[in-house]
Amino acid sequence: MDAAEPLIHVENFHMQFGQKKVIDGLSFDVARGETFGFLGSNGSGKTTTIRALLGIYRPTAGILHINGRVFSDDFGSRLGYLPEERGLYKKESVLDVMGYFGRLKGLSKADAVAFSRQYLQRVDLADKADVRVDKLSGGEQQKIQLGVTIMNEPELLILDEPTKGFDPVNRRLLMDIIEERKDAGATVMMVTHQMEEVERLCDSIILLKDGRAEAYGTIDEVQNQFGGRTIRLKHTGNIPDSPNYKVTLRENNYAELSVDDRVDEAEVLRELVLAGVVVRGFVAAKRSLEDIFIQVYGEAPGSEGAPAAKRGAAPGAGKAA
Amino acid sequence: MARHNLSTVVGFEFTRTVKKRRFWIATLAIPVLLGIVFGLVFTSNTSTQSRADAQKNQSLAFTYTDASGLIDAKLATAMGGTPEQDPATAVERVKAGTLNAWFSFPANLTQEPVKVYGADQGIFKNGSYEAVAKQLVLLSAQVKVGSPELAAAVQGNFSTESQTFKDGQPSGGLETVVPPLLFLVLFYVVIILLANQMLASTLEEKENRVTEMILTTLNPTTLVVGKVISLFLVGAVQALVFATPMALGYVFFRDQLAMPDFDLSNLQFQFLPMLVGALLFIGGFILFTGVLVGIGAVMPTAKDASTVFAPVMIMMFIPFYIVTLVVSDPGSVIVQVFTFFPFTAPITAMLRNAFGSLNGVSAAIVIVELFVFGAVALRVAVHLFRYGSIEYSRKLSLRTAFSRKS
Repeated sequence: MDAAEPLIHVENFHMQFGQKKVIDGLSFDVARGETFGFLGSNGSGKTTTIRALLGIYRPTAGILHINGRVFSDDFGSRLGYLPEERGLYKKESVLDVMGYFGRLKGLSKADAVAFSRQYLQRVDLADKADVRVDKLSGGEQQKIQLGVTIMNEPELLILDEPTKGFDPVNRRLLMDIIEERKDAGATVMMVTHQMEEVERLCDSIILLKDGRAEAYGTIDEVQNQFGGRTIRLKHTGNIPDSPNYKVTLRENNYAELSVDDRVDEAEVLRELVLAGVVVRGFVAAKRSLEDIFIQVYGEAPGSEGAPAAKRGAAPGAGKAA
Repeated sequence: MARHNLSTVVGFEFTRTVKKRRFWIATLAIPVLLGIVFGLVFTSNTSTQSRADAQKNQSLAFTYTDASGLIDAKLATAMGGTPEQDPATAVERVKAGTLNAWFSFPANLTQEPVKVYGADQGIFKNGSYEAVAKQLVLLSAQVKVGSPELAAAVQGNFSTESQTFKDGQPSGGLETVVPPLLFLVLFYVVIILLANQMLASTLEEKENRVTEMILTTLNPTTLVVGKVISLFLVGAVQALVFATPMALGYVFFRDQLAMPDFDLSNLQFQFLPMLVGALLFIGGFILFTGVLVGIGAVMPTAKDASTVFAPVMIMMFIPFYIVTLVVSDPGSVIVQVFTFFPFTAPITAMLRNAFGSLNGVSAAIVIVELFVFGAVALRVAVHLFRYGSIEYSRKLSLRTAFSRKS
């Protein structure tokens, strides 16, 4: 396999459950060693795509390849998959479960046990090695599942909302672990609603909406596709409505304004001052992913169930979708 | 890798089952209960024997009158009897408790009963009066006949040895029927002991939400086959634990436990019936296993699965309703239907095979049918497992499962 070939290749993927069309002609690539953010509101088709990619669902049409071919369990020993639905064998001890998965992923029994003990030490669960999984808290079970996911030092990590249910401390730990795998050359594909995670870790992203790619490319490319800038404003006084900008965030004396590329930032500043707003800080930057997410989905990332009805500037389908 | 994974699955599934305290409590409960029952039987038999010995040595005091002239006076005296001098008052004396018992032997024993009067000794001991009276008549008759052989012949105390032939060869009796029937027993033990565990085991990945991690690591066929093998091994351990006290009891305490004295060395293990029995067992096992895995894959919980699972199990027992027909009239329509209907076929065919009424062609058809249906059931079960176990909390629609493109 040519190293330049993408590790994941999805082309014209369609998925239909009964009469319901879930994915409609989705195409994207994930290069080797890349960290890829898979973004979208709830129900946009992210988990379906991952399941189809991993052979859990069979696609209605299209090509879904990992390492140049349709996924089979032969690749299982090189894959680390943390599914959205979390679960482990609950009646078994932590060490037994980790040992079992380690063996299935091709490790020797000794290596599986050694890794497990080392990992449990790292995540402060060394004293829980012989405890039954169902006696652990939800967060502790998540840590065990993450350990199971990475114990074969996978070359491809697919993480479906990895930080879901983690407190900030453990979220940081998780991010560190993902970053380590990334530094070790692993390809990472992650579904997340945490935009700071995306900005910290991802090289490129895809925004999925109603089974179609709304945007696709590197973070810079996506920001450029959507255009516009975000103005971060420290101020006192009321910010009036204006056709030149849109207020996307209001917090006490801080606000974020979304402006179109055609609007001059100086014009916005002048308009605010004339309206009696006392401006104490004014920074213009490319639009944040959070802004873009809200524009595309009409809701904040991770919010449950809100319809993705509102749509901002049409960005096109991205570089491959 | 597939073989490594299969052994890993078998090892994990087997070890975690036999490591559980609950498993050993359930498994040991039966032999412990059997041990207790054996102990009680042993104790009871010992005391019964002592009591019988004591009774044997104890003579029953009675008086008698003999209008038949059959009773031997010496025997009567030896058994504790004396001729009654005043028959008219005998019953009154028994009532008053001054006479223990009085037997009145009539002139014609075939037309009139022997009248027995005795002091009450309790419901069980009261029977000894009649027993002694009958024994006295029997022994006196033997003395009159004067020939032990004639006496034995009259009483039917003799044995017979029979030999039948089929196609010019000795066809054997019960000793040829029992060995192939062992497969039937084994089939019941395996399915009944393991069916629930198999269902629970299949549902476990779904109930624990671990399906996706497993399916991306392991071929579902490997997982299902691994589970089946491990459960078979678990069943073997259980069967061994159950059989051990029976075997020990049979070998060392057969008399004390009043177990039937069946000479195992007489059993005849004929090649063809044993081969057919083994193939019917394996085919039936594959079929029922496939169906159970399929049910587990479709249903969201063990509780839901049990409602579908019950009719399948009932089908295993249905052939016993016609077991007399299976033995006496194997050509009847119902026996033929049960022989070839897949879910009743294993039991019916195994019975007919043991009793020698399953001919070669029928045996071949049933075996092929069981293996084919079993393979199809397992394949469908794996397919349903792949797509059903991802439907974590709801029942899988079969239409959905089979409409997914391969």
